Amino acid sequence: MKNPLIYFMLFAFILVITSCDKVIDVRLDSETDRLVIEGNITDVLGPQTIKLNTNVAVSNTNTYPPVTGAIVTVTDQGGTVYKFTEGPAGTYTTPKMVGVAGNIYTMNVVINGKTYKASSIMPQLVALKSISSSDSRFNSSDGTRKITVHYQDPKGVANQYNFLMYVNGARVKRVLVNNDDFTDGNSVSFDLMEDDIGINPGDKVIVEMQCVDKSIYTYWLTLMQQNYNGPGGGVTPSDPPTNITPSTLGYFSAHTTQTKTITVK
Amino acid sequence: MQMARSIFTVFITLTTITAYAQKKATINGTVKDAASGETLIGASVTLQELPAVGTATNNYGFYSLAVAEGEYTVLFTCVGYNPVTQKIALHKNQVVNISLSAKNGLKEVVVTGKRLSNDNVVSPQMGVEKLNMLQINQVPVLLGERDILKTITLLPGIKSAGEGNTGFYVRGGASDQNLILLDEAPIYNASHLLGFFSTFNSDAIKDVNIYKGGMPAEYGGRLSSVLDVKMNDGNDKDFGGQGGIGLISSRIKIEGPIVKDKGSFMVSARRTYVDLFLKLTTDTSIRGNSLYFYDVNAKANWHFDDKNAIYISGYLGKDVLALKDVLGTNWGNKTGTLRFNHIFNSKLFSNTSVIYSNYNFVVQGLQDNARSFKATSQINDVNLKEDLQYSIGYQHTLKFGFNILYHDITPGDITSPQNSSYNNKHVEKRHGFENALYASDEWNVNKHLTFLYGLRLSGLFLLGPGTFKTYNNAGNVTSAKIYNSRTDLVKKYINLEPRFTANYIIDDQNSIKASYNRNTQNIHLLSNSSSNSPTYLYVMSSNNIKPEIADQVSTGYFRNFGDNTFEFSTEVYYKWMQNQIDYKDGAQLLVNQDVESLLTYGTGRAYGIELLLKKKYGRFNGWIGYTLSRTERRFDAINSGHYFPARQDRTHDVSVVGIYQLNKRWSFSSTFIYGTGNAVTYPTGKYSSGGLTTFSYTQRNGRRMPSSNRLDFGATLEGKEHKKYHSSWTFSIYNVYAHRDPYSITFRDSKTVPNTTEAVETSLFPTLIPSVTWNFNF
Repeated sequence: MKNPLIYFMLFAFILVITSCDKVIDVRLDSETDRLVIEGNITDVLGPQTIKLNTNVAVSNTNTYPPVTGAIVTVTDQGGTVYKFTEGPAGTYTTPKMVGVAGNIYTMNVVINGKTYKASSIMPQLVALKSISSSDSRFNSSDGTRKITVHYQDPKGVANQYNFLMYVNGARVKRVLVNNDDFTDGNSVSFDLMEDDIGINPGDKVIVEMQCVDKSIYTYWLTLMQQNYNGPGGGVTPSDPPTNITPSTLGYFSAHTTQTKTITVK
Repeated sequence: MQMARSIFTVFITLTTITAYAQKKATINGTVKDAASGETLIGASVTLQELPAVGTATNNYGFYSLAVAEGEYTVLFTCVGYNPVTQKIALHKNQVVNISLSAKNGLKEVVVTGKRLSNDNVVSPQMGVEKLNMLQINQVPVLLGERDILKTITLLPGIKSAGEGNTGFYVRGGASDQNLILLDEAPIYNASHLLGFFSTFNSDAIKDVNIYKGGMPAEYGGRLSSVLDVKMNDGNDKDFGGQGGIGLISSRIKIEGPIVKDKGSFMVSARRTYVDLFLKLTTDTSIRGNSLYFYDVNAKANWHFDDKNAIYISGYLGKDVLALKDVLGTNWGNKTGTLRFNHIFNSKLFSNTSVIYSNYNFVVQGLQDNARSFKATSQINDVNLKEDLQYSIGYQHTLKFGFNILYHDITPGDITSPQNSSYNNKHVEKRHGFENALYASDEWNVNKHLTFLYGLRLSGLFLLGPGTFKTYNNAGNVTSAKIYNSRTDLVKKYINLEPRFTANYIIDDQNSIKASYNRNTQNIHLLSNSSSNSPTYLYVMSSNNIKPEIADQVSTGYFRNFGDNTFEFSTEVYYKWMQNQIDYKDGAQLLVNQDVESLLTYGTGRAYGIELLLKKKYGRFNGWIGYTLSRTERRFDAINSGHYFPARQDRTHDVSVVGIYQLNKRWSFSSTFIYGTGNAVTYPTGKYSSGGLTTFSYTQRNGRRMPSSNRLDFGATLEGKEHKKYHSSWTFSIYNVYAHRDPYSITFRDSKTVPNTTEAVETSLFPTLIPSVTWNFNF
C-alpha cells in the first residue's frame, strides 16, 4: 500500500523524539566512471533530451563528467528514426519530436563501439485535475502545509504516476510515486508527503505529473523505498533496476507530462 | 508414516534391551515450590549413593527414576531453592512429591556442604541457555521495563537486532527463524511498540529456555532457535498479588488457589501510558495521537488427583498507534492453550495440548472519506499436540509424540467505504497443515557417556482452494492451477530431521559435547524493511517457496570450578542454510496477490565460537559472554552471486552482566555491551537521476557501521518489612555515559555546502535515560 505506507514511515518519527542526527565523516570506497544514461521522451512537442555522463565519488561536488562523441538515436514503433545531436557536451537532443501515447520508443546509444538499448511505452495521459494545500498533520504546530494532487484514475488499466514538486523554484528532493493497485478506476487524492522543504502559506508550488510505464515506476519506487531509512522502513540500498541493456546506471523513460501551479493558502 | 513407525520400533527395542537386566523399582513424583505450589521445571533429582544416576523434572515438574532396589538418599536441588534430601527404602514403585523452599532473593547461598548443581556439565543437552527469572528481574533495561528478550541478547550467540529493538538473531539466523513459544503457543510478533518492548510480561513468566543448537526433537518448525517461555501456574496455597508503577507503564498480577492444593489461577496485566503524556503537551501535532500497548496473561490449573491435571492459559496483547486524523494501526497476538497431563504409571507421562494462536494487523486511513480504508492481515493456528515421556531405567528417557498444526492465513484484505479512492481488495486465503512426528532418547550409556538422539519427521501440506501460480526467475507466471476444494492438496514437503548430541563426561567438572541437527521451516516471514515493523506477512512453503533447511554441527567444552559456583563453556558451530529468501528491487509486499513473484532464493552459512563464564551463586554473580562469528548469504541476483555479510553479521559481540547484593536492602546491577557495527551498504559513487542526487553501489553490505557499546546501571531498594505487604524501588539508568550508538547512517545533499554530499548519523538514545519503578506485593 504505497500511500498509507508512506504515512507509516513518517509516523515512526514520533517514536524517535529522543533521536538525534549528526553530520559525520565517513570514508567511502569509490567506483567511478560508470556510464549514466538519462533518457526522457515526453508528449510535448519540442526538443527531447538524452544525457550521458559518468558517476563521481560521493566526496566530489555534484558535477558529472559528460560522455561525448556517442551516437544516439530513438526509434518509434512505426520505424521512424530520430537522430540526437550533441550540444552542449554530453547532452544529446533532437529538435522536433513529440511522444504519442501508446507508442513504444526504443533508444539506441553507441559509445566506443558498445551499444546500449532500452524501450519504453508512453502511457495514456491521465489528467491532473487539481492540486490543493492543507494543514500538514505531521507538523501542524509549525503552520506548514502539505500538497495533495487530485486525478481520476482510468478503470481497468494499470497506471503509474511520478510526481515532481517545486517550492518557490526549488526542487523537493524526494521521489514521489504512486500506482493504482489499490485505487483503480477511482477519483484519487494523493498526498505528496515530504520532509525536505517546509511549505508555508504564500509559497508558490509547482507540481509536475508524469504518467510512466511499469519498469520506470519500479525504478523510481526503488529509489523512494531507499529514501526512508528511519525506524519502520528502509531497505538495503542497491542500484535501481534499469530498463537499459546491457545494464548501466540510469533509465530511458517515455512519459506524459503536465504541470499545475498553486499559491499555498 | 511407514518410516516413522519403523523408527519407533527401533527405539522401543533398543531401549528395552538394556532396561530389564536387573530388578528395578521406580520413584516418581512432582517437585514444587513450597510457598506457592508452583511446579518446578528442571529441578535435579540425584541419588547420593549412585553419583552417576540422576534426572531432572520436566515442564510440568514431573520426574521418574528407575534404579535397582535398595536404600537411597535422594537429593532434590533447583537453582534459587534450598536443597532437600530424603531417605527412601525402595523395594517397590514409590511416589515421592517434594516441596522446595526458595532462598530469599539472591542473597548469599548458605553452603550446605552438598554439591551445587553441575547440570550444565553432565546434561547431554548443548546450545541451551536457561534464564533465571530472579536474574532477569535484576538486569537493568530501557525505561525500567524488565524484559526477557532483551536479557537473552546478553548471552553469547544471541544478538539483538539493534538498539531498542527486541528482534534477535541466533547463530546467524534471521529474526523469523526463531520459534517463540508461550505455553507452547507460537508468538508471531514478539514485540510491542515497533520493537521497543517485548510481548513477555516478566511477572507472568516462570521459566525461559533458549536453544541455539542441539534442538531436542520435540521442537521444530524454525531454523535457528527455540525460545520456550512458560507462564506461572498461580499460587495454590494463598491469595496474593504484585505489581509495579513505572514511568511509562504499570502492571499488576493477582494469583491464588481455586481450591487449596487442588487448583490455582493467575492473572497478570500491564499497560503503557506514553499517550497520556502526549495529551499533556501543547504541541498539537503530538496531542491526540495514540501510542500504547497492553497485554494480559491468564492461567488456571486443576489437579483432579495425583495422576490427572489440566491447565488452561491464554495471552492477549495489543498495540495501538494512531496519528490523529491521518492513520491508525493496531496489531496483536492472541493465544490459548489447554493442556491435559496424565500420569499413566510411574514411568509414562503424557501431555495433550490443544493450542490456538492468532496474529493480526490492521492499518486504517482516518483522514477523510476519500482517503479512508482498512487493511487487515492475519494468521490463525490451531494445533493438537501429544507428548509422551517414558522412562526406562535411569539409562533411557524416551520422548515421543506428534503435532498437527493447521494454518489459516489471510495475507491481506482492504475494505473501504463507497466513496473512498481505495478499492476493496482481497488476497486469497491460504490453508495448510504443518505436521510432525518425533521420537528421541536420552541414553546414559555409562557414567562417562550420554547420548541424546532423535528424529523428527515434519511435513507441510498446502491445501486449496485458490489459484496457485508458479513464477520464473523474472517473476512471470509460468503456470497457474485452480483448486476448488479444501481437501485438494496443492503441494507437500516431507523432511526428516535427525537430531544428535553426545556428551563425554570426563569428570563431574569437565565434559565435551558434540551435536548435529537438521531443522526445517515451512512458514516464512516476508518483510523488506530492516527494522521490526508490524507489517508482517507470513507465507507457507508453496510451489515457489521451498522449505528452508539448516544443518548445524557444533562442539563444546564445559567446565565448572569452585564447587560449581563458576561455569565456563565454549561452543563452536557451523551452520549451512538452504532456500533462504530475499526480495527483488521495488518489492511491494503488502496486499499483493503475486507476492511470491517478488522473491529470490539463495543460501546462507554461519560459523563462530562462543565463550561464557558465569558465576551463578554468591553475593556477586553474573556473567561475561563473548562471540566471534560470521554470517553470510548468497543470492544469484545480488552482489554478482558472491557471498556477502548478512545484516546480522557481527564479528565481535561482548556482554558483561554483574549483580551485587550489598546488604539486605540494596542490590546493584550493571550491564555492558560491545558489538561490531552492522554490515551496511554505503554508496561508492553518485550521479543525477531526474534531478535528484542518486547513489551508486558496488558491494552488498560491504561496510560496517561504527561499533556500538553501552553501559546500563540498575539498583533495587527493598522496602522495610510490613506484615501485610512488601515493596521495593527499582532504579535504572540506560546508557550511563550517554554514548551515541549509531542507528543508521544516511547520505544526503549537504545543507551547508551546496552541490556536495554529507553523511548523517542517527542515534536513537544518545542521552542517558533514567527511570524508576515502585513495585509491591501482598
